[in-house]
Amino acid sequence: MTDTFKLPPVVLRLAAFVGLLAVIAAVFQFFAPAYLSNGNLHALLRHMSVNGLAAIGLTFVIVVRQFDLSFPGVASLGAMTLGFLLATGYSLSASIAGGVAIGLLAGIINGTAIAYLRLPDIVTTIATGGVAIGLSYFYSNGTSISENFFMSGILDLNDAKILTFDMPVVILACAAVAAGLILHASRFGRSFYATGENRVSAHFSGIRVKAYVLAAFGLCGAMACLAITLLVASSGAANVSAGSQLLMPAFAAVYLGAALFGAPSIPATLAGTLLMSAMLNGFTLLAIPYYYSDAIVSTVLIGAIAIFDPKLTATLGNLLRGRTAR
Amino acid sequence: MTVLSENVTTGRSRPDFETFFVRYGLFLLVLAAFLLFAWLRPTFISAGNINDMLRSASIAAIMFLGLTWIIAAGEIDVSFMSVAALANMIVAGLVAAGYGWPLACLGGLLAGVVFGLINGGLVAGFKLPALVITIATGGLAGSIAAAIGLGTSISLSSTGFVGSVLHANIGIVPLITVVVAVVYGLSYVIQEHLTFGHYLYAMEQNRAAVVEAGVPVNRILFLLYILSGTVSAIAGILLTADLSSGQPYIGSSYFIDGLTAVLLGGMALKYGKPNVIGTLAAVLLLAALLSGAALLGWTDSQRQIVRGLLLLFGVAVVVWARRKNRAHI
Repeated sequence: MTDTFKLPPVVLRLAAFVGLLAVIAAVFQFFAPAYLSNGNLHALLRHMSVNGLAAIGLTFVIVVRQFDLSFPGVASLGAMTLGFLLATGYSLSASIAGGVAIGLLAGIINGTAIAYLRLPDIVTTIATGGVAIGLSYFYSNGTSISENFFMSGILDLNDAKILTFDMPVVILACAAVAAGLILHASRFGRSFYATGENRVSAHFSGIRVKAYVLAAFGLCGAMACLAITLLVASSGAANVSAGSQLLMPAFAAVYLGAALFGAPSIPATLAGTLLMSAMLNGFTLLAIPYYYSDAIVSTVLIGAIAIFDPKLTATLGNLLRGRTAR
Repeated sequence: MTVLSENVTTGRSRPDFETFFVRYGLFLLVLAAFLLFAWLRPTFISAGNINDMLRSASIAAIMFLGLTWIIAAGEIDVSFMSVAALANMIVAGLVAAGYGWPLACLGGLLAGVVFGLINGGLVAGFKLPALVITIATGGLAGSIAAAIGLGTSISLSSTGFVGSVLHANIGIVPLITVVVAVVYGLSYVIQEHLTFGHYLYAMEQNRAAVVEAGVPVNRILFLLYILSGTVSAIAGILLTADLSSGQPYIGSSYFIDGLTAVLLGGMALKYGKPNVIGTLAAVLLLAALLSGAALLGWTDSQRQIVRGLLLLFGVAVVVWARRKNRAHI
């Protein structure tokens, strides 16, 4: 995890992350003794893999300094497409490919509108997200789809294990390694960062800026649909509102990770996701009702942005650094 | 901007038509929607339906007033609908718990002001990114709203004085519509004829230049977020009486509506700069669409797709019109 950061402060940042995780674990272990049990850790990591996949996709968009608010809607559309394909009897791999392809297509539409037609990112993605949610109702008039799910083997995506690791965790790990290689160990990754830092100078450095923005949105859409595939696998039904729970945790994970490690990156996003999942899982274990989870996530998100912000950090320097170290 | 575009377009007839289309297209669209729905379903223009449409449009118009100015000033607020839902649930919760309507309304209003203060403080005061901050505060407000009703809605037996105000009519026009018309008239004067409004447009164009000119930009922004929180809360309170219940998830339906109204409205008159007259016209269009779609038996998802495409279309026209102007300059 430290490979991508060559500066000494990364040791401090890593220590802060481990410390934070230890504090969270200790607090929940104190209140709910089952927290660090084997079963719960598996549940925690499974939960993390859904949010982690969506957050990895979003990381690319944030790195090129754009916003994507459409991925929850796109994910719902992907979930319903997946469910529809399974219910009509397509094989598991074809159905998953269909769902992810829908996400990729939606991402490419977003990216084309924003990069090539130069529409404003926020409004465009809100609109396409709205259209995607509307389209997701067409498969079944809004009812959830679960026919053929048991036969198709999609449930194995959630239940299967490879060397004691659950399948979702393995998928997340593979996706994270692939995304990490692209973003941190290839010239493509440098180009993504350059596009985000200064689009004009990136353009004059010979980087095809628009193509990278398009690629970021495409990846975000595809990853959101891959994430929702795991969620569908764990719940056993495709639902039109499935995607809406991805928005806040994904943004929170990216910003929390960036706050901890100084810049958005794949390891930082994973760290952010792990912290978010550790907290949300703990609160679930304490039987805190589901409607509080958004409040927890948003409070953490506001805190993370405040710490992420260099101006604020400079102004309130010591005070905030004290809070981060905790 | 207007002067420049007139300079550019004189002497050519085609751009003149295009300019006219961009400036007044929204009003034509509203007219076309009304005529179309009235032709397809004559009940669309019955007194009762007009009355209902105007009432729901008025509530939406109140909610989007603050948002119009925030987007006009080049910032964004995506927490407005959750603040309305929170005010809605607080009023319903307090009334259900036996406190009177006046006290409950104060409680709802207070929530709006508090969230306005939080947004304003974080965005204008600490200069944090507006989009993510308002996503987070919106999530917080929505979560509290859901927690008040323990995840479900609260139904009320009476709608109190708010209900009687809301259902008062002057002819077939609801009283609330007259109030909204007056408020929007005042807002029009403020935005187009007072320095404050010109600061809004200037902030969108070049924030740094406005700061250098000595305008207290952050104070204006702070006030805008408080305004947005307050008007959203007022709309939420009115919704409690309109629905005679508290609905924790009512916000989501207003989210795309609000942004569509403001951005589509921005298309009218001012080439993509949100203005109150445009917002009002777009709110009418959306209300007509809602009512007409219900009469024609469209499903909610079909309406949502139309709305999303309308928003995309509005944004595309605005960007296209602005780029055309800029290219000529």
